[in-house]
Amino acid sequence: MRNESFGEKTARERAQLLFEPGTFTELLGPFARVESPHLLIQNIVPQSDDGVVIALGKIRRRKALIISLEGGFQGGSVGEVNGAKIAGALELALKETRGGRLVFPVLLFDTGGIRLQEANLGLLAISEIHSAIVELREFVPVTGVIAGRVGCFGGMAIAAALCSFLIGTEVGRLGLNGPEVIEQEAGTAEFDPLDRLLVWRTLGCRRRFDIGQLDQLVNDTVEAVASAVGERISIGMTRSKPGQLPRTRDIEPQLQKVRARPLADLENDRTQVVSQPAAPHRGRLWFEVLTRKLAPAEASNSVLVGDVLWGKEAIRAISVVPNPNARFPRAQHGQVGLEEGWRIAKAIWDAIETDDNKIRRTLLAIVDTPGQAFGFHEEDLGIHLSLAAAVEAYIAASRCGHPVVALIVGRAISGAFLAHGLQSGEILAFDHESIEIHVMSEAAVARVTRRTPEEVTALARIVPSTARDVRSFARFGGVDRLLQISNPAEPDAATIAHVQDEILQAIQRIRLVPTSRRQFDSLPASESRKMSFQVRKQLESLWRATDS
Amino acid sequence: LEIFHFEFLAGKQVLLRKIQVGVVASGNLEVLIEPTNAVNSTVRVRTSVPGYRNEWTEILRTFFERHDVAAAIEINDGGASPPIVLLRLEQALEESRNAQ
Repeated sequence: MRNESFGEKTARERAQLLFEPGTFTELLGPFARVESPHLLIQNIVPQSDDGVVIALGKIRRRKALIISLEGGFQGGSVGEVNGAKIAGALELALKETRGGRLVFPVLLFDTGGIRLQEANLGLLAISEIHSAIVELREFVPVTGVIAGRVGCFGGMAIAAALCSFLIGTEVGRLGLNGPEVIEQEAGTAEFDPLDRLLVWRTLGCRRRFDIGQLDQLVNDTVEAVASAVGERISIGMTRSKPGQLPRTRDIEPQLQKVRARPLADLENDRTQVVSQPAAPHRGRLWFEVLTRKLAPAEASNSVLVGDVLWGKEAIRAISVVPNPNARFPRAQHGQVGLEEGWRIAKAIWDAIETDDNKIRRTLLAIVDTPGQAFGFHEEDLGIHLSLAAAVEAYIAASRCGHPVVALIVGRAISGAFLAHGLQSGEILAFDHESIEIHVMSEAAVARVTRRTPEEVTALARIVPSTARDVRSFARFGGVDRLLQISNPAEPDAATIAHVQDEILQAIQRIRLVPTSRRQFDSLPASESRKMSFQVRKQLESLWRATDS
Repeated sequence: LEIFHFEFLAGKQVLLRKIQVGVVASGNLEVLIEPTNAVNSTVRVRTSVPGYRNEWTEILRTFFERHDVAAAIEINDGGASPPIVLLRLEQALEESRNAQ
């Protein structure tokens, strides 16, 4: 048994095998029948546990929480129910750990990321998983394991990068965008998913270990994984190398690595920018009008950072904008790419480290981005890590007392939105038809879910979480305030003053109640995210019952 | 997707515990089996491949002919072949007969 492949076990078996015998207690297991309510309507057979096992037990005599994703069910993707099980369990572990009793979390990743059939509900759940991991790892090591057939992709790759310690096996893979999605977005020449050697040489856990993006590589056996996890938990908070920063804080060296990629390697991908677009980029426009600073388009910088004083409130605005001279061509059009993620993180940590505790400035994320950069070089260098750095920086800023506000002025899409905007105390968005919020381009969704583009469009009418408009997203509690703006591309002075006033009000609300977490008991989210709320409630009472 | 409900006269053997086995993956299935006191054993099948009512009837009849049990069964099927379905049912039954 101990020499058998860990990767070939089911999620439940994996969890059982890591605990000391007889200590495994599953919460919301198959017979709780808390399955996804969004799949039958889409002609998909649900699974009784929605593809995740949440279990408490002992590892090396310490209380441990194991979260084990089932890669066999819907590619281990994260939807509303399993997402709430994961986030809810981590939140409960945090509560108990803060109360003085350590719970050691272990995440067994085997997941393609957001479940496209539940789209924005998965996106919200994953952002909640990110913030729970970052908060937890202040108190206990959060151990991640990538040892399944699916590997670890999408928003969950960011979650893996946020773990304190990451273990992988030869059968595991780690990357932000899977090769199929990159092929869809950027063509076969960019990354051919059928070139297995290339795929493994780029995304395989062995390679991630070689370039320092994985802490430990072990054999694919039950014994090897169990002893690596056990060792981590018995070490507890002691770091193996004292004084070492987590990899998401290693900003300057990582930026240097990214910038060391020879231009000649990247040149082939460069698309010709035929002419400047007629309308200026919204992210640039709103950055300029709100900071009263001009950001010339020819400046070779895709992350605009500007400080401005509004009365007594100091604001640092951050906006990701198109840059025709971007070193990485796939990040030329306003995408959040390798450099962008690290630069966002840098701008935020700079504010955290320079501000006096009494007057912490606001961080304003101005969001208009078509998504994360889809490219071979991005995956090769580890874009998931760069996005994780930005995610962590925003969470850290909130926790240090900086109000964090996001203003969606255009598109807010997928991994880019996770890294830039979603980790805000409040999210404001223009109530305008031009605002788009979703997780993947329609073409890519069609390919991955094996539907026609027409079917994907039609689906949004029956499954609201797959819709792309701002009002649908607001109904899920993803937006706190919808701002009535008639022309977001050409705002007049009154409009600008109105937006500025709304941002100031948001800052005041955050300063009064400094919480980074969205409240589930507040309307309208409680209705449209009913399951997210119910799952947490049930989990909490079951968790308590394990102590009695 | 198609959903079927089947009933068979309950057998004599009582199960000791409820058990879940398998995964709703392509060519695979999940089986949940529980003891029941009802007159009939019940089976709910949700399958990703529609149009095979007769085949399901046959598989389940075979299962209940082989085993004289009283059980409430739920099957979530990702398009498994009949031998795989029988295998999972047998696996679930065997485990549910063991007290621990």
